[in-house]
Amino acid sequence: MSDRFGHLVRAEWTKFRSVRRWVLGLLIAIGLTVVLSTLFASVGGTDANSAPAVADRFHFVHQPMTGDGSVVARVSGQEPSHDWAKAGVMIKQSTASGSPYAAILVTPRNGVRFQADFRTDIGGSGRTAPLWLKLTRSGTTITGYESADGTTWTEVGSVSLSLPQTVEAGMFVASPEIVEIQRQFGGTSIGGRPTLGRATFDNASVSGGEPAKWQHEDIGASMFTSDETGATESGGTFTVSGSGEIIRLQQGDDDLIFNSFTGVVFGLMAVIVVAVLFITSEFKRGMIRTTFAASPRRGRVLVAKALVIGLVTFVAGLAATAGAFLLSQPQFRANGYRPPAYPYVHLFDGVVMRAVVGGALFLALLAVLSLGIGAILRRSAGAIALLIAIFIVPQILFGGLPLNVALWVGRVTPVAGLAIMQTTKRWDTAIDPWPGLGVLAGYAALAMGVAIWQVRRRDA
Amino acid sequence: MEATIEVNGLRKRYGRTVAVDGLSFTVQPGQVTGFVGPNGAGKSTTMRVILGLDAPDEGTALVGGQPYRMLRVPLCHVGALLDAGAIHPGRRARDHLLWMAHSNGIATARINEVIEMVGLTSAARRRAGGYSLGMRQRLGIAGALLGDPPVLMFDEPVNGLDPEGIRWIRGLLRSLAAEGRAVLVSSHLMSELQDTADHLVVIGRGRLIADTTVAALVAAASGDRVVLRTAHRTEAMTALASAGATVAATDREAVTVTGLPAERIAAVLGERGLSFSELAAHRATLEEAYMELTRDAVEFNSPTVRAEANNE
Repeated sequence: MSDRFGHLVRAEWTKFRSVRRWVLGLLIAIGLTVVLSTLFASVGGTDANSAPAVADRFHFVHQPMTGDGSVVARVSGQEPSHDWAKAGVMIKQSTASGSPYAAILVTPRNGVRFQADFRTDIGGSGRTAPLWLKLTRSGTTITGYESADGTTWTEVGSVSLSLPQTVEAGMFVASPEIVEIQRQFGGTSIGGRPTLGRATFDNASVSGGEPAKWQHEDIGASMFTSDETGATESGGTFTVSGSGEIIRLQQGDDDLIFNSFTGVVFGLMAVIVVAVLFITSEFKRGMIRTTFAASPRRGRVLVAKALVIGLVTFVAGLAATAGAFLLSQPQFRANGYRPPAYPYVHLFDGVVMRAVVGGALFLALLAVLSLGIGAILRRSAGAIALLIAIFIVPQILFGGLPLNVALWVGRVTPVAGLAIMQTTKRWDTAIDPWPGLGVLAGYAALAMGVAIWQVRRRDA
Repeated sequence: MEATIEVNGLRKRYGRTVAVDGLSFTVQPGQVTGFVGPNGAGKSTTMRVILGLDAPDEGTALVGGQPYRMLRVPLCHVGALLDAGAIHPGRRARDHLLWMAHSNGIATARINEVIEMVGLTSAARRRAGGYSLGMRQRLGIAGALLGDPPVLMFDEPVNGLDPEGIRWIRGLLRSLAAEGRAVLVSSHLMSELQDTADHLVVIGRGRLIADTTVAALVAAASGDRVVLRTAHRTEAMTALASAGATVAATDREAVTVTGLPAERIAAVLGERGLSFSELAAHRATLEEAYMELTRDAVEFNSPTVRAEANNE
């Protein structure tokens, strides 16, 4: 039995390779993918490596601290200006933005955190204000504690920081921007709306060194006027308003691996045309009768055809994606996509292999889908137009649709298969790589199922 | 496998058009069976049903006692040429035969044999798109012969062939039958089959009109008519009518007589002293016999012919 199926596969392979235009069509698919990918990679650039590495903006109520000691305060209230609004106590080298620090803080939605030097982030309890927070300095070690009552303290985390003898210690308030994505035809702009955080503190004290007066100021450039940010004290209760973020900035969120394959969108058109013609040309000329007379088990014929077009396209696709990757990467490097923001990647890296082999699988499954639709419609023009519409229209519309609609389209239509070439997850990621390819595989299987059912039922 | 085609009570409709309407016939091994009927009579439909390409609404078509779809290496049981145009124009003739051979596990050495049999050796590496209709017919026949099958079907194989090609195909059909194969050849022109077919299956509007040998068909169509040519037409008609014959004047001097053999007619005329210039038993051609048979069955005939038919 399997032997006979081998005959069918061999016959379909002979059919494919003996029509020069189809072989040429796949070579065109490779060429379009590689050339256009390289071309797109050569335009545009990045300044990711020259952009600031950290954001360090907040309002700081502080006094100097010398040698070992501690800073304690009770956060009596915090306004939920942002899920990641911060209110807490901090020890910082100086009031210069970007200088080393350690802080224990509370957020409206993300509990208690011990953070240091834009790097360390240790989660404490899920408590919200009111609560007590404390930092102690002993040698180079700074330890953060939280407490419900100011008596029983729980260590959240500690960090080793080399700071000068005299540092600034005190209370701080920060509140990040709300990210807003504006979408229009032709592009997407990402903007931020600043928020103003406000918290009240009491029982604030700094031990270590001479007692001093509290001072307060904006650290880093504030988006708000000095009337809006600030600190007032009344009977030991401080009301502090501040804005900003204390964080290492995410640089280089461009998916340079995915962006190596921009030409695939054009190459896939050639794949669609070849795969559709592989079946519709038989219907057009009545050759399907010769085929079905030679092999009356029609379902097996279609499966053999799908196997041949799938394998052939996979091999061509592998050449296309590997070529596109290898030629695009030097272009990206030349345009400023370099470490540290963009580490170099190589063809045999895991995620690169997934994208390169997955891209070829994507094209192979697309070919099978095209074959199935061609067998259902039996008309070249209709099938090709439908398939190109399925894959190209969403690409054009993507920028113009509301984000959630665009993401939905990218999740439930065959376009989801393109996700296999993604290697990062961003705000505009519709679906994960393998599930995305799975969606396309589902459509291909469905089309083949309907095609087999029809071809068995209908007269040839 | 037994080399026969058995069609039994076949009925096939496409939408509201009945293409084949209760057709039954058998194709025997060792002879060429002509499958004749006007255009649209249902010949191609019947052949498609035999090949399992179209599903019949009723009835069966068996090849060697089996439905075609049950055959596992069908090209080795039945060879068929349905449509000479059914080839991809971008494919070389040899590659066309190569995929067919692969599909049924036929040794590729056979390809050169059939190419030589149909006389395409010099053109086998050319793309089929550049072939003339006659060359395509030959390629289609090569495909039918590929599996060396005991049953062969050719749908209008003479179309597009030059006189030399027609002579060649007649010889081929005869020799295939002489090897003991069952050969079914369709045509809408009886004259094409006159010297080739042993047996005739005549259909019209999807129905069987005649299933007979060529000789019997000609005899039946000729009837016992005698053509009489005489200067004394009126007297002759009266005399023959009174002798029991049916007479009809066909022109000023000619009379068609039925019901009396030629010798008896001569005797009757001799008794009355009526001279005649010609007395001949009429012998119909196969074409006339066919026209006679299919007069009612022509799908697209002109209104006047249809009116005559209705008046009978």
